[in-house]
Amino acid sequence: MMVTQLVEKAMKRAQSAKASLSQGESTQVSFENDKLKSVGSAQSTHLEVRVIVDGKVGSSHTTDVDDTDGVVARALETAEFGSPAHFEFPGPADAPDVKLFDDAVGPVTKGQMVEIGEEMMALVKDYNSDVLVEAGVSKNVGRRELATSAGVVHASEGTHFSVHVHGQWIRGTDILEAGDSFGWRRRQIDHRAVAGRAVERFRLAERIAPIRSGEMPVIFTSEGVNVLGYALVLGVNGKNVFLGSSPLAGRLGEALADERVSVVDDPLIDYASGSGQVDDDGVPRQVTPLIENGVLRNFLYDLDAAGRSGAKSTGNGVGCWPTNLVVEEGTTSYEQMIADTQEGLLVHDVLGLGQGNAINGDFSVNVQLGYKIEDGRVVGRVKDVMLAGNTYDALKNVAAIGDRAEWVWGIFGGASLLPPIKIGGLSVVAK
Amino acid sequence: MRERMENALRVADADYAEIRIENATSTATAFRGKELDSIDASTSVGGIVRALVKGGWGQATFNALEDLESRVTEACESAHLVGKERTQFAGVEPVVDEVAAALDRDFRGVSLADKTSVIEAYNQIVLGHHDKIETSTVRYHDRFRTVWYANSEGTFIKDERPGVGILISATARDGDTVQQGFESVAGNSGFQVIEGNHDKAETVAKRAVDLLGAPPVKGGTYTVITNPKLTGVFAHEAFGHLSESDFVYENERMKEIMVLGKRFGPDILNIIDDGAIPGLRGTHRYDDEGVKTQKNYLIKDGLLVGRLHSRETAAKMDETPTGNARAISYAHQPIVRMTNTYVDKGDATFEEMIRDVKLGLYACDMVGGQTAMEMFTFSAGYGYMIRDGEVAELVRDVVLTGNVFETLMNIDRIGDAVEWPSVGGGCGKGGQMPLPVGFGGPHVRIQNVVVGGQQQ
Repeated sequence: MMVTQLVEKAMKRAQSAKASLSQGESTQVSFENDKLKSVGSAQSTHLEVRVIVDGKVGSSHTTDVDDTDGVVARALETAEFGSPAHFEFPGPADAPDVKLFDDAVGPVTKGQMVEIGEEMMALVKDYNSDVLVEAGVSKNVGRRELATSAGVVHASEGTHFSVHVHGQWIRGTDILEAGDSFGWRRRQIDHRAVAGRAVERFRLAERIAPIRSGEMPVIFTSEGVNVLGYALVLGVNGKNVFLGSSPLAGRLGEALADERVSVVDDPLIDYASGSGQVDDDGVPRQVTPLIENGVLRNFLYDLDAAGRSGAKSTGNGVGCWPTNLVVEEGTTSYEQMIADTQEGLLVHDVLGLGQGNAINGDFSVNVQLGYKIEDGRVVGRVKDVMLAGNTYDALKNVAAIGDRAEWVWGIFGGASLLPPIKIGGLSVVAK
Repeated sequence: MRERMENALRVADADYAEIRIENATSTATAFRGKELDSIDASTSVGGIVRALVKGGWGQATFNALEDLESRVTEACESAHLVGKERTQFAGVEPVVDEVAAALDRDFRGVSLADKTSVIEAYNQIVLGHHDKIETSTVRYHDRFRTVWYANSEGTFIKDERPGVGILISATARDGDTVQQGFESVAGNSGFQVIEGNHDKAETVAKRAVDLLGAPPVKGGTYTVITNPKLTGVFAHEAFGHLSESDFVYENERMKEIMVLGKRFGPDILNIIDDGAIPGLRGTHRYDDEGVKTQKNYLIKDGLLVGRLHSRETAAKMDETPTGNARAISYAHQPIVRMTNTYVDKGDATFEEMIRDVKLGLYACDMVGGQTAMEMFTFSAGYGYMIRDGEVAELVRDVVLTGNVFETLMNIDRIGDAVEWPSVGGGCGKGGQMPLPVGFGGPHVRIQNVVVGGQQQ
């Protein structure tokens, strides 16, 4: 394999080395403004070499598969000025069993992808022809190789398939945008259901409902839970913990959240977008409990951050980011959560997430798609509303957790499997 | 390269076809906390073919440069699958040109050791500022891109696009309270841009520590004065994106909203996008469809007078291309983007703007901004309350939000000097991020702005 040759080349001067190669072929079809806009294909190559020379780390990458000498030479050169190494690249270990490849993805034709997009678009147009629709379908077939000087030789194949549909509905100067998407490593996707969810979001938003400023219960839909997840993902990042910028540093074992809250990083779910066998350091992926019954249990580490902190890599390299972030389901149905709410806000999508002092847990976001709840019913969409609070305060004030989790895109890559969550009270500012 | 590209284009069966190939070298180095965190020296090479057939686009991107002809054929086949109408694509005079980078100090000739030692000095200033400084992030990056563009109309452009920048951030902690200060510097004129920024490092650290003791701003509606950096973000985020014609050209409702000649602000308001101002980050001689960049008035004397175009949107709206079709790299198609966007100067001094504000907010810098058509949200880096006509206490968590149309109409004073902060980062749209852009402006006063925050 090319990667083992790269490692051999590097080891003429290095004490430890890792090489990886990713190659992919992808196709996407895009619909804009109610019609098919473009069909595209992409061939990609990415070659990366990391080395440790005289106790210092260097790295280089390239998209030029013929530049094997260059990429090794540059990695060695950077190591001369590199950061101190707190680790060595790992040796062989049993790679966990997880399904990443579906042979039904490759054969899907451009024409079939166009049909899927057309069907989703038609379903939204059937609901309301004034909604201007965009949609997309994409597929990817890729191959990855990774080798280390300590003997890891890994090769895997992966696929990905995804669809999205999104609409814009303008009335006067009011612009409403809503949509839905789904992607994973399997071909099988109910694209009509994706379009159906997009339509449902428009239906609920047909009326604009006034809302007062003040503290009130807030229900986050699965997508909306990302508002709370953002700070948590930054907080459990082992690098941030090591550097002291995470407010969770030194608090393992502490009760952080309501005891019904359990969160796990799980890269071993078959066909999930964030799943994998081996991370980019060459360390096997593993399931890592982050919060168990409200108690902070673990941080996520890559080799470097683990080495610096005297911890063990959790296979979250490189970067200490989650793979598939899974929040355990609760016992309350989504419908019941709404029915139990006298006056409140239902939050689906926000603008401005991550702005401000996010790592501290603070959020102050514009509700881009959210609904007013009155007497246990969704009565319409809210406009010009800010939602503010702190993730860690909110997690202690959980009123209910939904009994059905749904896949949504991960904020920092990967994917998240999240149930809706109701918070007892948050600050709502309406204009 | 020209011959290879032109030969490949001969097999194109399309109304229009283009090839863009890019070769880039880059280095990056970063401190986080006391230690050097990472160092990297990398290259990339790749290309894209776009073909237009009966109004439909096909494209093919690739890293392997051999067999360009088959990429052209593939893009054309995809385009045939899409095209069902009539191709509308604004004509421009074909050009053959080479744009050489103008670097005072070429960063490619600076050793990794020297690059690292410049940011190491900044890092030490941040970490040594105060014992409440918990950690730091200081990054350096440079990238030298050579872009070759050829199309089926005979245009061939070789364009060198250098960029260099640093980011300095400080994290301060007091018990459970964590605050950050942040500055970036970037430019395309050479290594000297990032040298001599010791004062910025000091400012970043001081701000993080000062913010620890600052209360969160109380949520509500205020008279807000934005500083030049925030004014620039406002012009870009809140209004500039609505001027991008790909949001408008096939959208009848948006056309009704964005009708030329309509009033969008007071007489004193002028907003401009200009991709030809020397030395700014959004500046290029040509866009990624071979169209020369130029100065485009978007709002003049409060009225909408223009918008930003690609060749396709210009043709479909029967307007003229403006040189705003830009792609972040070979892996992406060009889409309508801003270049350097600014609010032009007015006539008010800062003292004139602030003196009759009883209770307001002086909002400074930005840490992020986002829009969804009419709605915008942006976060100031920090702010000060304005009390009885004077700048008062520092406040944190300053997030401004609202409806673009209403907010522009609520501008009532514009400062008398335009500044162009040389900040890094960039704009994101359609999965393409970060695109280098410039933004600037004077101080601007806006009435009735919703400021988010926890109610106290």
